[in-house]
Amino acid sequence: MSTHVIGGSPARLGGLDRVTGGQQYVADIHLADVLHAKLVTLDCARARIISIDTSAALQVPGVRLVMTAADLPQPVPRFGPQFEDRPVLAVGETKYHGEPVAAVAADSKDAAEQAAALVKVEYEELPAVFTIAAALDPAAPLVQDPALRLDDPLARTNVLREHHFGWGDVDAVAASADLVVEGTWTFPMVTHFAIEPHAFMAAPDGDGIAVWSSIQHPNWLQKTLAKILGLPLSKVRVFAPDPGGGFGGKQHVKLEPLVAFMALRASRPVRLVLTLEETFQTVRRNSTEVHVRSGFRADGTLVFRDIESNYLLGAYADIADRTVTKGSYAAVGPYRAPAARVVARSILSHTTPSTAFRGFGNPQPIWAVESTMDEAARALGIDPLELRLRNLARRGEEIIPGDTPADGDWAQTARKAAELVGWGTPLAAGRGRGIAFGIKSGPTTGLSYSTVRLLADGSVIVYAGTSDMGQGARTVFAQIAAQELGAPLDWITVVMGDTAVVPYDQQTSASRSTVLMGNSVLAACRAVQAKVRAMAARVHRVDEALIAVEAGLVRLPDRVLPIVDVLGPGLGRLGGEIIGNGEMRKDAEPGHPLGGSAAFYEFNCTAVEAEVDQGTGDIVLVRYVTVSDVGKALNPAQVRSQDEGAAIQGLGHTLMEHYIYDERGRIRNLGAIDYRIPTSMDLPLEFISETVENADGPGPYGSKGMSEGALLCVAPAVAAAVRDATGVVIRDLPLTPERVWQALQERSNT
Amino acid sequence: MHTFAYARPTTLAEAVALLDAHGSDARLLAGGTDLVIRLRDGSARPAMVIDVKRVAELRPAIREDSGRITISATTVMTDVVADERMRRHFPALVEAAAVVGSVQIRNRATLAGNVCNASPAADTAPPLLVYGATIVAKGAGGTRRIPLDEFFVRSGVTTLGPGELVTAIELPVPRRRMGATHVRRTRRRGHDLASVTLCCAVDEAGVTRLAYGSVGPRPLLRIDESGVLADPFAPADARTAVLEQMLADASPSPRSMRAGPAYRLAMLRVLGTRALATAIERLGEGE
Amino acid sequence: MTDTIATQPIEVTVNGRQRLLDVAVHHTLLDVLRDDLALTGTKECCLVGECGACTVIVDGRSVDSCLVLAVEADGAEITTVEGLAVDGTLSALQQAFLDTGAVQCGFCIPGQLLSGTALLAESPHPTVAEIHEGLAGNLCRCGGYQQITEAVLAAAESADRAAAGAADR
Repeated sequence: MSTHVIGGSPARLGGLDRVTGGQQYVADIHLADVLHAKLVTLDCARARIISIDTSAALQVPGVRLVMTAADLPQPVPRFGPQFEDRPVLAVGETKYHGEPVAAVAADSKDAAEQAAALVKVEYEELPAVFTIAAALDPAAPLVQDPALRLDDPLARTNVLREHHFGWGDVDAVAASADLVVEGTWTFPMVTHFAIEPHAFMAAPDGDGIAVWSSIQHPNWLQKTLAKILGLPLSKVRVFAPDPGGGFGGKQHVKLEPLVAFMALRASRPVRLVLTLEETFQTVRRNSTEVHVRSGFRADGTLVFRDIESNYLLGAYADIADRTVTKGSYAAVGPYRAPAARVVARSILSHTTPSTAFRGFGNPQPIWAVESTMDEAARALGIDPLELRLRNLARRGEEIIPGDTPADGDWAQTARKAAELVGWGTPLAAGRGRGIAFGIKSGPTTGLSYSTVRLLADGSVIVYAGTSDMGQGARTVFAQIAAQELGAPLDWITVVMGDTAVVPYDQQTSASRSTVLMGNSVLAACRAVQAKVRAMAARVHRVDEALIAVEAGLVRLPDRVLPIVDVLGPGLGRLGGEIIGNGEMRKDAEPGHPLGGSAAFYEFNCTAVEAEVDQGTGDIVLVRYVTVSDVGKALNPAQVRSQDEGAAIQGLGHTLMEHYIYDERGRIRNLGAIDYRIPTSMDLPLEFISETVENADGPGPYGSKGMSEGALLCVAPAVAAAVRDATGVVIRDLPLTPERVWQALQERSNT
Repeated sequence: MHTFAYARPTTLAEAVALLDAHGSDARLLAGGTDLVIRLRDGSARPAMVIDVKRVAELRPAIREDSGRITISATTVMTDVVADERMRRHFPALVEAAAVVGSVQIRNRATLAGNVCNASPAADTAPPLLVYGATIVAKGAGGTRRIPLDEFFVRSGVTTLGPGELVTAIELPVPRRRMGATHVRRTRRRGHDLASVTLCCAVDEAGVTRLAYGSVGPRPLLRIDESGVLADPFAPADARTAVLEQMLADASPSPRSMRAGPAYRLAMLRVLGTRALATAIERLGEGE
Repeated sequence: MTDTIATQPIEVTVNGRQRLLDVAVHHTLLDVLRDDLALTGTKECCLVGECGACTVIVDGRSVDSCLVLAVEADGAEITTVEGLAVDGTLSALQQAFLDTGAVQCGFCIPGQLLSGTALLAESPHPTVAEIHEGLAGNLCRCGGYQQITEAVLAAAESADRAAAGAADR
C-alpha cells in the first residue's frame, strides 16, 4: 500500500470512463420518458415582443408544451447571483441576440425543432447598444429597468456599478515620475466554447424536483431553484455530472429554471441541450477598454499606477460585475506601488450576458498594465525582465494595502521562466522576446464541507461537492484520502455532484478546490484518524496519548500497524464504519472591498520567443514558456495539464478569437466555422510549462490553487515579443495576422 | 433538419433520370461536407437527395489514359493526396487538397463536390484552373465537357445545366516541365477556410499561370505568356507590372468575416510573389 | 404542415456487431449512434464538421459523424469509442491517454481516440508534426494537445515494442 501518493501523478479518477465512452455527461443520461426542449429566439438583439402565437407549434404531433412568459408565475421570477435581474423567459422585451422568448417540449428532438420554428413571434426591433461608447452615451437606451435598482444613483445609466480602489495620492506623486507611460488597451469579446454545450434536465421528483445540469456550482443552483419554485432546499435535488469543460461559463444558473418549470408543467422530465451556436449567445467574457498611466523613475522604480477600466457586460449581470471588482482590485500587479488609483466600471449592453471566465476579470487589466511595463522598459533603456524584478514584491510584502501580502518567492518563478526561454541570449534575426508577470487573487470567502467514510475493509468513500470539470479535483481528493488513510487509490470512491447526498460546497471557482475543499477533505480524514486512534487505544489497551495515527499508519508504542489492521478488531461483530466530517471556512471580512482577503495568489510568469512574418503578419511562437508558483503540485501531471491548457486558451484571445457583431447587434460568427480557437497545429513550436514548489501555500501539504495563472500573461508576453521583433506596438486583441500586418504598414508609413 | 426523400441510384442512367425528373427539387450528395451543413441550417431544403456514391460508373477512381488523368466524381481528397500520379503530375493540387479541412473532412469531401459547391475560396480551384482541368458533365441530353474556367460563375453557382451532374474531372498530364505551388492565407495554422488561396505555375517555356480565389465572386485564372514573370533576371518593376495586371480583377468582399479587403489584396501580392519564386525554384529543381 | 418522418432500413456493423435499423432519412450517423443505439460515447458539439467531437471510424477512415447521414452508412463498418477496448482490455492508445494525463474534462477524448486510432493504423510511426496535423480536426478547449500528442507517440512506441516482442518469440 503506497502512502506516497501526494506529488505522484496517478491515473485520473474518471479517466477510464472518459477513454471508454462510459462517462455520462448531462446529454448522455437516459431518462425513459424525457421530453426534448428547443428554445425560440429572435433574429435581432433588442426587440419589443408584441405577440407570441403558439397555435401552429402546438399542432405538431408529439409536442407536449409550448411555454412563454405568460405561462410562468406572475411577475415572472428573476434570478442572478449578484442582481436578480434575469427573467426565466424574456418578459415583454428581448435584451440580447438569443434571449429565449419561448420554449417547446416534445416527444422527439425533430418535433421540438419543427414546433420551435412554427412559434410566431411578432416583434418590433428597438434601438440598442453594443459597444462601450454607445452604452455610455447619455442618450443611450437603458439596458436594465431602473426600477430594479431604485436606490442606485446610476440607475438611469448603463453603468451598473463603478468601483474605486487605490491608495496613496497619485496626483501628488505623479510629478516625481521621470517617465509616464500611457495608453488604452482593448480586449475582445470571446466565448468559453467548452466542447460540451450547456445541458439541463429536470424531472418532477415526488413533491419536489430533480435537476441535472452541467453547472459548476450545484449548491448555488439548488438555492436559486428552491427560491424560484418556492420549495424547501430538501426538495430540490441537483445532480451535477462532471461538466465537459466549464472555464467559468457554467458557474451560474442559466436555463435551469425554465427547464424546471417546463418539467413541472408537463409532469415529465424535460431536457434542453444547447447547440454550440446557442452557447455563444449564452456566455462570454467581459470585453474591455483599459486606460493605464504608469509612472516610473529613471531607474525603473514604479511610482504610481492610474487605471481606468471600462468593462462591457451583457444584458444581465450574472457574476460579471464581480469579475470587474476582483480584476480591478489587483490590477496594479504584483509590484510595490507607492500610489495607485483604479476606477472600474461595469457597463451593461444588449449583448450576450457575460459571466465568469478563467482569469475572472484579471487578464484584461493585466494586458494593459504589463504592456505599460514593457513600454517603460524600452523608453528607459532597462531590460523588461529587470524592470519588473526591480519592482516585484518580495515574499511578505504588501501589494495591496490591508490585503494578503505576496505569498511566494515570485522572483524565483520569474527567473525560472526567463532562463527557460533563454532570456538575454542572442536572438536569430527577425525574432523577438517578450515577458510578462501576472497575479490573480484566489478565493476571498468560501465554505466547503466534506465527509469521509472509512469502510470496514479499509476502502474509502469521500463526499466532496466540488465540480470536476477537467481540472482533476476528484483525483486530488482521492490522493489526499489515500495519503492520510492508507487506502490504495483504486479503493477510493469520490462522490460528487448530488446535493441530496453530498454536503454543501459553496462553489467551484477561483482555483479554490485544492485549497478549500482539499483542506476540508484533509480535516475529515484527520477526524477519521482521531477515531481510529481512539479505537486502537481500546483494542490494544494503550493510552490514547501514546498512539499516533498518520499517513495510513497507527503508531503504537511497540509497533506500527496499517489502519486497516485496527479496523477489523475495532469494529467487531457488528461491523460498521468510521465517519469523519471536515469543514473549511473562509469567512467574510467586514469592510474589506472584496469581502475578504485573498486565500492565496496565483503568480505566473510567461516568456515568449516569437518570429513575425512581416509580409503576412503571421506570428510564429518559436518558444513559449509558462511558469507558475503552485506551492505543491499534489498531482504534477494534472498541474501541467492545467497550466498548458490555460496558456492555450489564452492564445485563443491573443491570436484569433473575437465575436463579430453586425450593426443590429446580431452575432455574425456563431458556431465553429467562423469563430476560431486553437487547434493542435496552433501549438507553439516549443512549449514548456514548469512550476515552482516551495510548499508555502495554505492548502494540503503546502499547495496553492492554480489553473488560471497561466492564462493571465499570454497576451502581453506575445505582444511584447512582437514588439521586440518588429518595433510595432499593438494595443488591441486579438493579434490576428491582419492586425499585425496593419500595424506594420502603419509603422512603415510613419 | 427537414426530411426529404433519399435515393441511392446504382447506375449513372438512374442518377441522371432522377435528377432530370426532380430538377431543382433535388440535391446531389457526394461527400456531404457542404450539403449536410446546409440541410441542417435550412439553407437547402430539397425534396430529394440523390446519393451518388454507389453509382457504379462514379466509384472512386483515378485513371490515367492517353496523357489524361481522370478523377471520378466520388473520389475523396484523401485519395487525391495519396495518389502517386497526382503527386507527380499535379503537386500543387495535392498541396491544396491536403489542406481542405481536417483529416475527417478530407476522408469524405470529394474533389468534384468541392468544385460544384463553387465557393470562391475553394482551395482546389486555383490549382485545377492552373492545370487546365475540364469538368465532365452528364445529363439527359448526353455528355459534355466544360473547361473549368468556364464552369465557375459566382458563389454557389456553376454553368452546370439543370439535370446535369459532374461525373469526373479531367486533367491533362502536363507536356512541359512545370514548377508549381499552392499557398493560402488563413486565420490560424489549424484547418481553416482561406482568406486568399492561390496557385502559381511556371513552365519551361516561360509561361506563368496564376489562379486565385477568395478575392471575388469566383476563382480567377490569369496567364502570362510574355515570359517576364518566369524570368528571375527580369527587372523587378517589369515583373511587378505584369503581376499587377494579373491580379487586377480581384474584388474581395468588404463584408467578409475572415479578413478585410485591403489585407486580402495585399496578401494576393505577397503570396503571388512568394508563390512565383517557389514555382521558379521548383522548375529549376526538376532539371 | 408537418413533415412525416421518412425512414429507411439500414444495416451497419457497429463495433463488430451487426445491426439492422430503421432510421429517419434526415438523421445523421451521430444521431443514430447516440439516440437509436444508445452509444453515447460519441459526442455532439459543433454539428458542422469543425470540432471532431463526433469522430468515428467508417470503413477504416475517420469521419465527422455529424456530416454523414445515417442512410449513407448502410453496409458500413463503424467503430466508435465503445469499440476500442477488446474484451475489456484497453487499446494501447486508450491506455496511453490515461498514462500521459491527456484526459481533462474528457468531452473531446472519444473523438481524439478515434482520430488517433485511425492515424496509427495509417502511419504506425508518426512524427509530432504528423500527429498535430492528423488530430487538428479534434478541438480540445482544455488545451491538452501536448499530452494528447505524447499519448499517440507512446502508443506508437508500445506497438513497436509489442511487435518486437512478438518477433523475438
